[in-house]
Order: sequence, then C-alpha cells, then structure tokens
Amino acid sequence: MKFNCLRQSLLQVVSLAIICTGFAQVSHAGVIETSVLADQEDRATHIARVEVLLASAEVARQFEKLGVDQALVAQRIQTLSNTELLLLEEQMDQQVAGGDALAVIGTVFLVLLILELVGVTDIFKSI
Amino acid sequence: MPALFIFLSGCASIPPHIAELEARPASVELVDTPFFPQERYQCGPAALATAISSSGIAVDLQDLVDRVYLPGRQGSLQVEMLAATRSVGRLPYVIDGTLQALWNELAAGRPVVVLQNLGVAAIPRWHFAVVVGLDTERDAILLRSGVEQRRVTSLKTFLRTWRRSDYWGFIVLRPEELPIDVDRQRYQKAVAALEKAGHMEGAAVAWKVAINQWPGNPVALFGLGNIELSLGNDLEAEAYFRAIVELDAKSVAARNNLAIALARQGRFAEAMEELSIAGDNVSDPAIAAELADTEALIVEQSRDAKTPQ
Repeated sequence: MKFNCLRQSLLQVVSLAIICTGFAQVSHAGVIETSVLADQEDRATHIARVEVLLASAEVARQFEKLGVDQALVAQRIQTLSNTELLLLEEQMDQQVAGGDALAVIGTVFLVLLILELVGVTDIFKSI
Repeated sequence: MPALFIFLSGCASIPPHIAELEARPASVELVDTPFFPQERYQCGPAALATAISSSGIAVDLQDLVDRVYLPGRQGSLQVEMLAATRSVGRLPYVIDGTLQALWNELAAGRPVVVLQNLGVAAIPRWHFAVVVGLDTERDAILLRSGVEQRRVTSLKTFLRTWRRSDYWGFIVLRPEELPIDVDRQRYQKAVAALEKAGHMEGAAVAWKVAINQWPGNPVALFGLGNIELSLGNDLEAEAYFRAIVELDAKSVAARNNLAIALARQGRFAEAMEELSIAGDNVSDPAIAAELADTEALIVEQSRDAKTPQ
C-alpha cells in the first residue's frame, strides 16, 4: 500500500515534469499500450510507465547536451519505442553513430602505429 | 566452443555469409532508387531519404537531418534511423543480417539501409549506405553511398565492413507490406512502435496485415482495439478485446482495456467484473499496479456518472 502510494506520487511528479518540458506522450488513462504486449514475449518484466517517463526525460537531456535543437527533442523522443528509449537511457555513449567521422583517438592511434612500425624520423622527414 | 567459432570466423579471410551465394540467384539492381548525396557527417539522413523516397514518399532532406543528426556525435544513431522512418508513417523493419535476406528484399523491390564500419575496429568509421543491388555474376554489391550514386563494392569487402555492425540493416515498409523473411515478434514490435509514434492509420493497416498472416494474433487484435479506443470508437474496441479474451481467457491486458472500453460506455458493473477476473490471473506486480490504477479510474468515473452535473 505504501509502495503503491509512493509510486503514484512519483508518477505524478514525473508526469508533471514531462508535461512541463513539452513532450507528454498522450496516453489514455489506464489503457495498457500495445507495445507492452508486443514486448512481453521476450522480456521477463513489464516496462512500467514510470520507467518510460524517466527514460524519456533522461534521453531528452542527453539529446540537448549533444546539440539537438530543443524544439526538435520532443518529436525525436516521441517516435522512439519504449525499448529504444531504455536502450538510449542506459547506453547512449556505447551506441555507434554513423557519420563517417574518424574518432580523434583513432587517428592518434593510427599515427602512433605508423610511427612505431616505420620509424619516427624517416616518415616525418619524407613529408 | 562457441567462443572458438567466433574467434575462427573472425579470422577467416572470407566471411561465412558468402557461401550463401553459391546457389547463385539472379543479379538484381533497383536502378530507379533515388539518390541523395550526403553532406559532411550526414550519411544517416541521406541514406534515410533514399530509402523513404523509394517507398513512395516525397522527403525533405533537412527534415530528416533534424530528425536523426546528433551534432555532438557527428553522426546518427541506429535507433533514431528507425524512429525517423516512423515519423513519416512508414514501418522500419530490421532484416536478418544475411546475404539471402538482403537479396530477398532487393528482389521484392526494396532497397536496404545498412550500417558499415569502413575503418577497422580500433579506428572505426561508421557509415550508413543503401544497398540497391547485388551482382551475383561479379560478386559485387551496388550502393547509394556518400556522394557516389552507384558505388560498386566487392562482396568480400562489403561483408567485412557490414560484419562489424553485426550485419545491421533495415527496410522501409509501406504499412500494407510484409517483409519477405518476417519474424513475428520483431514485426509486432515494429508495428507497436509505429502505433506509439501516433501513426494510427498506418498501424491499423499493418495490424490487419498481421492478422491476415497470423490469424487470431492477439497483439494485432490488441493494437486494433487500442487504436479504436484512441479514436473514441468504444464499441469497436470492445469487440477486439473480447476477441482476444475468447482466444485466451487469461489475457490480463485485454481484460484491463476491455474494462476501459466498457466503462466509457457507462457499463461500469461489467467493467469491474472484467477487472476482477483479470486480477485473478495477474502475476507481474507492475501489471497488478496498472489494474489497480484502472480500477480507481473506473470507480471515479462511475461516481461522476451518478453525481448530477
């Protein structure tokens, strides 16, 4: 009972926060979403509404940090599925970003590798 | 043993997938696939524009940039490529990572967006491109890639670069289309995500396709019920939820939503009865909490209905 009460108030606070930041997922009160059933077959636990709300807020924060225009954040969040939101919430950093960019660390590594294999002075003199 | 296999296959000079082509299916090339040359770091939006416009929707490249580009990462994430596809009402479906699946989709007229690592593991260079053809005579892949309208890559090189993304690729389906090698669960999730993204009309079409493919599919029936609920068609919604309960009397989710459809028609006693049966079958505490929420909601609604305004 106590847990339920706590859960309710947490949900209300988070819902309010979400609505205030402008990306409320309009879900009809009480209705269990279709994705809950679709995810159920290969997930041990049901993804609770509050988890999705918290993940949305966190992913939105990370998108903004990565330079996404604030006005676009809500739209981008809305089209992500619940499992995708949880994935990004937990491991946005580990997700690869396709964009042809060579990681700086990678380039440094390449230079070091060449230096090691070919010999520092020679390769720099020849350029 | 599996670890050894991974190690060995990782070292093999020819990826195992190439063996699939021994059957030598005919070459295929989707020559009419449009081309959107990419700007710096924006292979994601360009590949997406290619695949979406190929499915018959006019796209604005800048809209897609706004949808998938992450400035801080100088690129686009795989899940956002899928999400952006939903934003235009199309259904993204991640295909099996095999050459055969690739060929099957091409033969059905659908290009495949793939993620490649053009570098090596230590110096990655992640790149989205669109496979538009497979030349089985010359063992080559034909791509819309970067600023090249028709890039020809040897199959061997392509498979090496594709393997680094675990052979990740997806197609853009019109709601009435099914993938050639369809996995039921993956397809259900794809349609549920389209529904969640707010494209009810497209999702409804796709759920009907699913019922046609898998008669009595409870997730599809549930989706159709939810769409009717969201449109305010409580009678139609009731019929869908009842159809699920008839097939599976223990479906808690169906009874929960059936209760809502009934309560909206003012049939509160019947609604409470459904919730009570659902309560007897529930095992997941999170679902039990949902049922409690629904019950509270219905009690409130019935109280309001009795109170003269």
